[in-house]
Amino acid sequence: MSTSDTSAASFEPKIVAFLCNWCSYAGADLAGISRIQYPPSIRVIRVPCSGRVDPFYILKALLFGADGVLVSGCHPGDCHYLTGNYVARRRFAVLNDLLDFAGIDQGRVSFSWVSAAEGERFAEVVREVTEKVRQLGPNHKLVKQECG
Amino acid sequence: MSREDQLRKRARDLLAAREVVMVIGYRAGRRPGTTVPAFITRPEDTDKLIFNDRCGANLTAYLPRIPKTAKVAIVAKGCDSRSIVALLKEKQVERSKLVILGVGCEGIKVDGQLSDSCTTCGYPNPVIFDEMVGETRDMTETSDVSDRVPDPLADLESLSPDERWHSLMEDVARCIRCYACRQVCPNCYCPTCFVDTNNPQWVGKTTAGSDNMLFHLMRAMHMAGRCVECGTCHRACPMGIDLMKFNRKVARIVRDRFGTVAGIDPDEPPALAAFDPNDRQEFIK
Amino acid sequence: MKPGIITAEELARLVTEWARAGAVYAPVRVRDWTEFRRISSLGEADFSRINTKLPVRSLLFPQCETMFRFKTDEPGRVEEPPEPEPQVILGVRPCDAAGIALLDKFFSGQGETDTYYQRRREKTMLIGLACNSPADTCFCTAVLGSPSGTRGLDLLLTDLGGRYLAEGDIAEVCRRFGIGSPSLAEAGDADLARKKELADKAAATITQQIDTGKLKQLLDAADNHPVWEELSLPCVNCAACTFVCPTCHCFDITDETRKGSGARIRVWDTCQSCIYSQHASGHNPRATPASRFRNRTMDKFRYTVDMIGEVSCVGCGRCGVECPAGIDIRETVETLFAALGTKQTKDAVQKAEGKTGKQQ
Repeated sequence: MSTSDTSAASFEPKIVAFLCNWCSYAGADLAGISRIQYPPSIRVIRVPCSGRVDPFYILKALLFGADGVLVSGCHPGDCHYLTGNYVARRRFAVLNDLLDFAGIDQGRVSFSWVSAAEGERFAEVVREVTEKVRQLGPNHKLVKQECG
Repeated sequence: MSREDQLRKRARDLLAAREVVMVIGYRAGRRPGTTVPAFITRPEDTDKLIFNDRCGANLTAYLPRIPKTAKVAIVAKGCDSRSIVALLKEKQVERSKLVILGVGCEGIKVDGQLSDSCTTCGYPNPVIFDEMVGETRDMTETSDVSDRVPDPLADLESLSPDERWHSLMEDVARCIRCYACRQVCPNCYCPTCFVDTNNPQWVGKTTAGSDNMLFHLMRAMHMAGRCVECGTCHRACPMGIDLMKFNRKVARIVRDRFGTVAGIDPDEPPALAAFDPNDRQEFIK
Repeated sequence: MKPGIITAEELARLVTEWARAGAVYAPVRVRDWTEFRRISSLGEADFSRINTKLPVRSLLFPQCETMFRFKTDEPGRVEEPPEPEPQVILGVRPCDAAGIALLDKFFSGQGETDTYYQRRREKTMLIGLACNSPADTCFCTAVLGSPSGTRGLDLLLTDLGGRYLAEGDIAEVCRRFGIGSPSLAEAGDADLARKKELADKAAATITQQIDTGKLKQLLDAADNHPVWEELSLPCVNCAACTFVCPTCHCFDITDETRKGSGARIRVWDTCQSCIYSQHASGHNPRATPASRFRNRTMDKFRYTVDMIGEVSCVGCGRCGVECPAGIDIRETVETLFAALGTKQTKDAVQKAEGKTGKQQ
């Protein structure tokens, strides 16, 4: 049950953002310190590495009220744990294609590589994702249903 | 000598010589036309072994239950042998403890019709075996059947996202969460499955559509790079859910993106446990 | 109460009236099989299969059922689910109905009453359809049932060809729905003879025999017998057999809470699951497949005899049809007789084994 305003013009999506501690979270922090404005749509969850993100986190976020999900980590080659994001990249690729196959609109779940130095870029990613999810509208598909 | 006779003789010889303590194969079920996995330990019982187009169970699923100290012989069709490779990669079975009796498979029939999984089979002959029982299937050594059969995913993929969602939700709505699909699968050997955890609870226990869909999507994710598309889960489902859609899709994603096929090369790590610095990332901002 | 005759047209008219006054369920074609679904006219029903995929108990004891709802900031207050409406379930086979009679004993005959089952049960009328042609998977007669049994039914219909012999109190069924009862023509001698002929022929097609008394005795002493290891080897420990069984009734209870409100929900559970008897300490008294397989067989043929004086397998055959490993409980029983060292009747042995003089 999304409590976000759902009228077309002013729908404010709720987006859960899984950010890796070493790069993307720091990048988001830099955006904040630099007073860069971006939509207040994301709810940040800090994880040690993008490789920590289990597809369950993404799907359950949608199930329990998120309109969109963003997962962001270090650029390939720069992972603090060396290979976490490489393994994550494969996992996310499979999930992305599987969700598309299942009919979950592309863009509802997004992935990015944002480094600790990329404050403005982080803000840009959030603007892009927010706009995309706003266009897609509230999530009606993977929503927790009740049984009989 | 017929293939069945060859099989029985080999099994008898292996047991009599104490080379193995058990032969895992198939025997006739109670109802005509059904088969049951057989676990033969005595040479005199090997006459119960059969092999026909109703031998649909993937016997590899029983291997993780066998004590690691025991050496067993196992009858393996092409897909079953790929499952053995998959389990070897994941260190769930020991090669030296197996005598793989390979059989070339003509496809499994259900109610007289070729099982869906078998319509796109590219591996009827075992990819790993100690000895072949009977002839290998005569076909070109290719896993690509796309020039011979229509794409089973084409119908679904031609629909809009909304239509795909509704079609799949309608299918999984029938799921009664019996987990027959999970239990017959050689890849599902986790001591505690994600549906059984309750701290945290990943998936609700009810048959609400969202929970059923979450179960099937996540099972498909866990099968990525591991599922050999044997179709045993599909045949096991009491409610006729088209599980092959999910299985085929993840297998195709892995093949197209990473160039690997599950259960072929025991020295190749499972696709999602590996990476290539040059993996495509067009979907990542 | 003398049996009456009801024509197909009269039955169709009644079904439409019942459906207006409450709910009518009947087997309906779903893909390759039939399931109990709500209908509004008799034409939607499909009686061509002997058994529906899921047993009729799924309407009285559903796969998931909300017990009550609550708000986390209102401790002690719960919102009860709505009252079930009156329902008629049409086309219930005698095995399924016998299963309901057994569930009645489990859910309310033991001192405590399962109110969730009971509230639906009280509002339910079961109208049976005798099996004129049992399937080759049926064995109700081997477990003291019958293809024309009336146990558990409010009314039994036997298809005589376009018309049905109706045994039971149809007036009562109609009264429950608040509608007038039809007056049925009394069945004539020819009708009764025809019914008997059909019933006898149906019963004769089932050749399986099980000496349930002897089986109970053998099972009483069989806790540690190695036969369970052998029997359980092909079993994959899924829930298929338990979920399609007319008398299985284990359940799990789960709370689903979100943002201050939630529901307590009952869902089917299975003794075949690895974690069914898992303790919080980590100990699991039924940790092995053999112990779980043993449990189910014992439950059907020994434990329920101790609890309620009856075997609880009704011989519907569904478990054998749906088992992914092809395990058939008839074969299980025969293996048990052979292993636990006794002779069945020579008749049954010959029919089951296709051999003569096999030493048990």
